[in-house]
Amino acid sequence: MQGVAVPVSMVAGNSFIHRLNPIAKLVWVLAVLVISFATRNPLFLIALSIVGLGLVTMAGIWRQFSRVMLILLPVATSLIVFQSVAPAFPQPWTPIATIGPFTIYQEGIYSGLSLLARATSMTIFALVMIMTTHPSDLFTSLSRLHVPYVLNFMLAMTLQLIPVLQREIGVVMSAQKSRGMKSTGFGAVIPSFVPVFAGAIERVQQLSISLESRAFGSSGHKTSYRQVAVRPVDWVVGIAGFAFLAVCIAVFLNTGALDMSRTLIFPPALAIVLVAAAAVLFVGFIASAIWVVIRA
Amino acid sequence: MPSERAPIIEFDRVSFQYAASDAYALQDISLTIDEGEYVAILGLNGAGKTTLELCINGIIPNMVMGDLEGEVRVAGVDATDTPVREMAKTVGIVFDNPEFQMSQMTVAEEVALGLENLGVPYEEMRGRIADALAMVDLVGFDERMPLALSGGQQQRLAIAAVLAMRPRILVMDEPTSNLDPIGKQEVFEIAARLNRDNGMTVVMAEHEVEVMARYADRVIVLDGGRIVANGTPREVFAQRELLERIGLRPPQATELALWLRDGGAGWTDLLPVTADDAVTALETRLAGVAR
Repeated sequence: MQGVAVPVSMVAGNSFIHRLNPIAKLVWVLAVLVISFATRNPLFLIALSIVGLGLVTMAGIWRQFSRVMLILLPVATSLIVFQSVAPAFPQPWTPIATIGPFTIYQEGIYSGLSLLARATSMTIFALVMIMTTHPSDLFTSLSRLHVPYVLNFMLAMTLQLIPVLQREIGVVMSAQKSRGMKSTGFGAVIPSFVPVFAGAIERVQQLSISLESRAFGSSGHKTSYRQVAVRPVDWVVGIAGFAFLAVCIAVFLNTGALDMSRTLIFPPALAIVLVAAAAVLFVGFIASAIWVVIRA
Repeated sequence: MPSERAPIIEFDRVSFQYAASDAYALQDISLTIDEGEYVAILGLNGAGKTTLELCINGIIPNMVMGDLEGEVRVAGVDATDTPVREMAKTVGIVFDNPEFQMSQMTVAEEVALGLENLGVPYEEMRGRIADALAMVDLVGFDERMPLALSGGQQQRLAIAAVLAMRPRILVMDEPTSNLDPIGKQEVFEIAARLNRDNGMTVVMAEHEVEVMARYADRVIVLDGGRIVANGTPREVFAQRELLERIGLRPPQATELALWLRDGGAGWTDLLPVTADDAVTALETRLAGVAR
């Protein structure tokens, strides 16, 4: 368990995106979140994702980014598999092909593809923000926006606790192994939960005493050590985020959210290939995950 | 002890009972500590050392449930009736597990936390952080992650985080119990330096009798929540029967002298409490024998 690191953390760098004000980035992340939920048009969402990948290139974080996506993407492809046979879409459904007991529907492919693209676009933008922003800068900026300090602190602490808990699980599991308890697989993890969480509670109690002893929760004026600059370009980028959101919403309102569920027709061959590829990715990922757990 | 020293911590018949317990953790404690004193609190686990210390900055009774009787006055303020965050300006407290005191992403931010809470302006904050890190020999560590430091470094960071707030009293609760020998030494030296050079009042609960014999002006021994001995290291460590009865040992130098005395070697001098004292005393005696 040595050296377990949070997989999603900041990647040091000095790109334009790294230097951008955290709030400007947050505006874009939230804008993309809203936009992604406002439309089901897969082409639009895929285009948005490609823009996001452009940002990944700009920030120079491909290596760390792809490591996270390698885990998330196969999980997300299950959307295509399940949606194609059971669309989250109003009936009637148009069958495309039948494989054994399963029938693949036109609406299912559309729905699965749009859900996948929706998840992907949101994830990409969020990851770009997380991987280019020092958490302290984000929290400092948020507190400037009058987000309550305590809320900020809770978020920051949660991030801090992840590696600590990972390490403690390792310690507890080693201790249990040394006393002859089951040491591999999922069965070994369950009994270590109680000591780990008991330890976490003790830690939090001690921390709260330590924090209070350092005037945490003082009612007076607070200052901030981290200084986050707000340059004109940050304003431009932030306002552009709002503008983009406004334009997209306006377009969606006027065009029925760019609905293409009846116009985007998938030929049977393409549909089958798509579903099969998604199934292989998803099942392959699950199988390898199970394999890792069994072997551990 | 210079006579101009004024009392800074006063306990007047203080008793405390934790909410979950029916026994008293502290019983009828009356105690005065002067500004600039270095006071060691000794006692076995459960003797009440931590409880006594938590009363000094008001964590007891403000954050810990229980019944407190008596009065605790610290720097002229009623500590039982003042929020801990107010007391923080006067009393800095460092606990035994350094890792449990860390909450920030970088060393500088960890030190800054208390200053931010006090509303110290940015420019002054930078100066104070640099000063505090220098005092604990962590210069250049500003951007490191606290959780990636060694135990000794973390504990020094915890001390710096408290020092930056410029308290008059530094309370330490077994600050070296999780550290290796080098880490212990570093922490003890910092505490001694702060006391000697900066006139800071130090209250330290410890198990390291030898070290406390060397640094402390005064030793207070607790047993079952009561003060059973209170005096200079020499006065307290001479009470071997008392210490043995409650399970503590005097420093080795004192034990050696006590053996010599009881063995008929006729030790009538002051009892030594540190190795240096013992060497001096023995040299004098041996010189006398040789003559």
